[in-house]
Amino acid sequence: MDTSHLAEHVGTVGSLAASVFIVATYTMRTMIPLRVFGMLANLVLMITAIPFHSFLQFGLHAVLFCLNGYRLHQMLQLIRDVKKSVNSDLSMDWLKPFMTERKCEAGEMLFYKNEKAETMFYIVSGRYRLVESGIELPVGAIVGELGMLSPTNERTQSLECIEGGTVLSVSYRQVEQLYVQNPEFGFYFLRLASARLFQNIGKLEERLAERQAPAVATPKLA
Amino acid sequence: MNFGVPKAVGFLPAIRSIFADVLGDDDDPIPEPPAGLPGAVRAVATEAVNRLIDYQGPGYAQLYVARLRRFIGRRNVDDTVFAEIARLLVVRMAYDDAIRMAQLKLAEAEAGQGVPADDVRKLRLDELVSSLPETVADYALWILEYPGWLHLPVTLRFSAASRLGRRRLRIEASLRRWRLSSLRYARERAWVERWLHMIDRSLTKQPAAVAAVVATAEMVRGHGDDYARSLSDWNLIIDQLVKPTLEGALSCPDLAGGITEARAAANLDPRQDTLKRVIARIRERAGAGA
Repeated sequence: MDTSHLAEHVGTVGSLAASVFIVATYTMRTMIPLRVFGMLANLVLMITAIPFHSFLQFGLHAVLFCLNGYRLHQMLQLIRDVKKSVNSDLSMDWLKPFMTERKCEAGEMLFYKNEKAETMFYIVSGRYRLVESGIELPVGAIVGELGMLSPTNERTQSLECIEGGTVLSVSYRQVEQLYVQNPEFGFYFLRLASARLFQNIGKLEERLAERQAPAVATPKLA
Repeated sequence: MNFGVPKAVGFLPAIRSIFADVLGDDDDPIPEPPAGLPGAVRAVATEAVNRLIDYQGPGYAQLYVARLRRFIGRRNVDDTVFAEIARLLVVRMAYDDAIRMAQLKLAEAEAGQGVPADDVRKLRLDELVSSLPETVADYALWILEYPGWLHLPVTLRFSAASRLGRRRLRIEASLRRWRLSSLRYARERAWVERWLHMIDRSLTKQPAAVAAVVATAEMVRGHGDDYARSLSDWNLIIDQLVKPTLEGALSCPDLAGGITEARAAANLDPRQDTLKRVIARIRERAGAGA
C-alpha cells in the first residue's frame, strides 16, 4: 500500500496547524500564553516531522519544547512562590534564583545615602550596618525592596559591611522585566510590596506608641 | 498614501527607538539647575550642566542636578562651600578617559583654525581596559593581573591632522554611548558617592571641617600613573583620618587642620611612605589628646 499520499496530507495539515500556532505565539503579549503556544507549535512540528523521517526537525523542536516547558515551569513556580509569600510571612525568598552572589569585605560600602537606588540585596552572611541610624541588619534581611517603587528612587541610608560576608543582589531592571513579562506576578508583587510597607508603618506606630507611653505616664506620677 | 503616520516618525527613528537601549540613546529632557540654589552656585551649576550634556548627555546632567539638590537648604553649607561642591562635582563627573580625550581633540579641531598638533597621552593598561563594560573588564583585568601587566603604560595618540585621524576621533568619541556601563564609571560613581557621603557626615559631625573635606576632591586628577597615585592618596586620607574621626573612632577636634597637613604630604612618593608617616603622627596626636 502506498502511504506517501497520506504522509503528504499529514504534512500539509501539520504545517497549517503549526503556522496557526506560530502566528498565535507571536501575537501573545505576555509570557505564559506565549510559552504555551510555543510548546503547541513545537509539538505539532514534531508530529509533522515523523512521517517525513525528518529527524533534524524533530530533534530541534523536541529541544525547543523542553526549553519552553522549563521556562514555563519557572514562571509558574515564581507566581506560586510570590502568592504563597503574600499569604504567609511576606518573605522575598522567591527572588533568590534570580539573584547574583557578591562577596563583601569589612569596610566596604554597598550603597550611600541619597544615591540613586538600582539594586536590592539579600543578606546571606556577614554583618552589615545602616550608617546613619546605626542599625545592624540580620542575616536573611532584604534591603532596598521598596526603593524600586519609591518616586524619588533614592537610598534613605548608607549600608556598610562591618564583617566580611556574602550578599545576593538583583537589579530593579530584572524585577521590572519579570513584572512586565507576567501581569499576575506583577499583581502579587505589588500586593507583597504594599503588605511589607504596611508592616513597616505598623512597626513605626508601635515604636511611636512606646515613646509616647512614658510621656503620658509622667503627669500621672506627678 | 498616508496611513496616519506623522512625518516625524520615519523608518530610521523607529528602528533607533527599538534599539535605543543597545545604542545607548539618551533622550532625557535637558535639566535646569534646581530651584533654591544661591546665585553664585547657579552660575557654576548652569555651566556644569552644559558641560555634562556635552560629556555624556542630558540624563547624566540630571544626575549632577540630583546630587547638587542634596545640599540645598542644609545647615552649615554656605554659598562658598556650595559653589565649591558644584565646581568639584562636575570636574569629577567629567573624568578624563580615552573617550573624553577624543571628544576634546575633536572639539578643538572643529573650533580652531589650522591643523592642531597631535596629543600624546600616557595611560595605564588597567585604565584602558576599565573603559570596557563591567562584565568584560572584570575578566580582562583578572587575566592581565596574572602576568603582572596591569600597570603597563599605553601611549595613545589623538590626531585631528588628517581626515582619517578625525574619523578615528569621531569613532572613539561615539563610544560615550556605552561609557555608563563601563567598569571605570562604576568606580568613579562609587568614588563620587563616597566623597559626597563624607561631606554629608562632616556636616553633621564636624561642620568646621566641611570646606577641607570638600577640597580633598582637588587631590584626584589627571590620568595614568598620576591619577592612580592621587586616588590612592585620597583613599588613604579618608580611610585613616576622615572616616574614623566622623565615626567617633578617632578624636581629632581639628580635622580640617589634619586634612591640610596630610594633603601637604600627599603625592611626594609613590609608596606613600611620607603620607603614612604624617597620618600616623596626626593619629598619635589625636590619641594623646583624647
